[in-house]
Amino acid sequence: MTEPAIKVSHLSKQFGETQVLRDISMEVTPGTVSCLIGPSGSGKSTLLRCIAFLEQASSGSIHIEGAPLGFTDGPQRRRQSPAELRRVRSRIGMVFQQFNLWPHMTALGNVSIALRKVRGMARSEAEDRAMAQLDKVGLKERAHHYPAQLSGGQQQRVAIARALALDPTIMLFDEPTSALDPELTGEVLNVMRQLAAEGMTMVVVTHEIGFAASVGNRIAFLDGGRLLFHDAPETVFAAPREPRLEQFLDTYLDRGASMLK
Amino acid sequence: MTWKLFSLLLEASLMTIFVSAVSILLGLALGIVLSGMRMSGSRIAYAGAGVFISFFRGVPLLVQLLLIFNLLPVMGITLPSLATAIIGLSLCTAAYQAENLRGGFEGVPPGLVESAEMAGFSRVQSFVWIRTPIALRMTFPALVNEAILILKASSLVSVVGLIELTKMAQNLSASTYQPLPIFASAGVIYLAINLVVAAIGQRAEDALPGLPSK
Amino acid sequence: MSFDFAVILAKLPQILMGLGVTILIWVGGTLAAAVLGFAVATLRRFGGRAVDLALRVPIEILRGTPFLVQIFLLYFGGPYIGLRLDPWVAGLLGISIYGAAYYAEIFRAGFQSVPPGHVEAAECVGLSRKQIIATILLPEMALLVLPPSLNMAVILLKETALLSLITVPELTMTVQAIGSQQYAFVESLVILALVYWALVELANGLGRLAERNLSKLSA
Repeated sequence: MTEPAIKVSHLSKQFGETQVLRDISMEVTPGTVSCLIGPSGSGKSTLLRCIAFLEQASSGSIHIEGAPLGFTDGPQRRRQSPAELRRVRSRIGMVFQQFNLWPHMTALGNVSIALRKVRGMARSEAEDRAMAQLDKVGLKERAHHYPAQLSGGQQQRVAIARALALDPTIMLFDEPTSALDPELTGEVLNVMRQLAAEGMTMVVVTHEIGFAASVGNRIAFLDGGRLLFHDAPETVFAAPREPRLEQFLDTYLDRGASMLK
Repeated sequence: MTWKLFSLLLEASLMTIFVSAVSILLGLALGIVLSGMRMSGSRIAYAGAGVFISFFRGVPLLVQLLLIFNLLPVMGITLPSLATAIIGLSLCTAAYQAENLRGGFEGVPPGLVESAEMAGFSRVQSFVWIRTPIALRMTFPALVNEAILILKASSLVSVVGLIELTKMAQNLSASTYQPLPIFASAGVIYLAINLVVAAIGQRAEDALPGLPSK
Repeated sequence: MSFDFAVILAKLPQILMGLGVTILIWVGGTLAAAVLGFAVATLRRFGGRAVDLALRVPIEILRGTPFLVQIFLLYFGGPYIGLRLDPWVAGLLGISIYGAAYYAEIFRAGFQSVPPGHVEAAECVGLSRKQIIATILLPEMALLVLPPSLNMAVILLKETALLSLITVPELTMTVQAIGSQQYAFVESLVILALVYWALVELANGLGRLAERNLSKLSA
């Protein structure tokens, strides 16, 4: 039995009075793609942000490849120092709904800056590696464009290249196509498909049910802060379905859910 | 008013430009440091920056300059008037620039800081490489405005003995008994410099890469 | 280095006199500047293109040149065209004219913030220009104009210190004079700085209070 890439144990999260996540436990096996689906407000983005420790859970723990993230293990549980946190988190790459490219740098600058300033690489070496990543997402020609000069789909592909340049073993995607015009989602999903085919461990929060069903090895369905199941798509989507899932799929027929009906 | 007098004024205006430019840049650097102190999470640093900004924005520049001019020798520090002038102007503009930058830093979308965090940047690295350039970009018009204010405020450094445009005008007016044309000419030169700075600022603003979209 | 503040504080009555002059010139000058600036902005708004352009020139000149040069021109240059002014008159006039240029811009921005449709609607129901200004424009722009107006008032307070250079017996000149009589330059300047600092923070505090109350009224 190999160590899970991500292990979430009894994770709960409250914002004031509202319970956003309720006692969630799940494991992600290395080399698999888990898609988190569920109605808006179900807590799936919060769960992903907790896995990256961008959001601090109220209780429970996160382990990345066996190493605790955010808080140390053991009886004297304490918050990790920034350096410890960075070390564990360096295995994770994250892609955001709003791309979050830095507007004052070109695409090449966005992809190479962390290699230079965080990893201490020389400029030429960092830019060579960055260029290779941009080539991989099909944007070598746009390397010297600023984010404002790129389409949403291109920006998101640069964001993926930026995360990949740091050699993560796990990639987290937070609704990567939700901010895109429908005709631009394809180019981003294709890059993600390619990444999955190469064996990258991925957790994807998405409304693209078709993508989830075809690329996901596991489907996690969240509803009201609860993880209702985390299972293979064949099992999840096979009839008879869980009534909440059935209801959810009905509202997403245009996102590829129709092929499951 | 002769060409000879006017050319003396023009020559002195180079000192005005020099003192202002150096002070703006030093003030910008110090303004960024003050912003960092306010965002560092340390209460002492926050309070220190707050008192500094409040003091230098609350006391007339003339009084600040006189204070520095008289205080430094008492503390055993003797500096040429150029250095005293630059210190005085820099400290003052730093307080104003920190205040301008505050809006810029608050306007940096949190997602851009999160993506820096996920890319492994430490808090300091993120401040230096991500937040500060974006805040500077967002507050660039305020920086140009501040440059014009400092160009005008530099007329006060005559009180620490530096001969720049206004002091030259005072000297010439005293020796020629022609205050009217001489101060008017000085005014025209200030106006011309400020128009040029505003025009350059506009050009630079247009050339800078885009702002983060919200 | 040893400081003796007592010799300065012994001259408290004189200092208070200087403070009084500063406050009088500041309050008087600021009110005059605001009224004059409002008049200029109104002329620019309703006086047609030619008036608008003609008024723009002096505003740009006043905003593009140092206040110090302006008061030197007025006080030292004035007599050469028969304008012989007492220092405090020159000071008050200087603050008023200089401030007016900035207030004119503040009110111009205020006028622009009121949607033209509101003015047109008022014209349609037959309100006079005066009524339109008083009942539509002023109330609608008050909230927008207040913060920069208060800010400008604080700037003018600090600018009054420059009047010491044309021998207006205000706070800076008074305290400096005491300092040189008593050979206590640094002490006098420290006290001077503290008084201005307190005055500015007090003005800022009052300004914040006014803003809060106004926004409550219009909420």
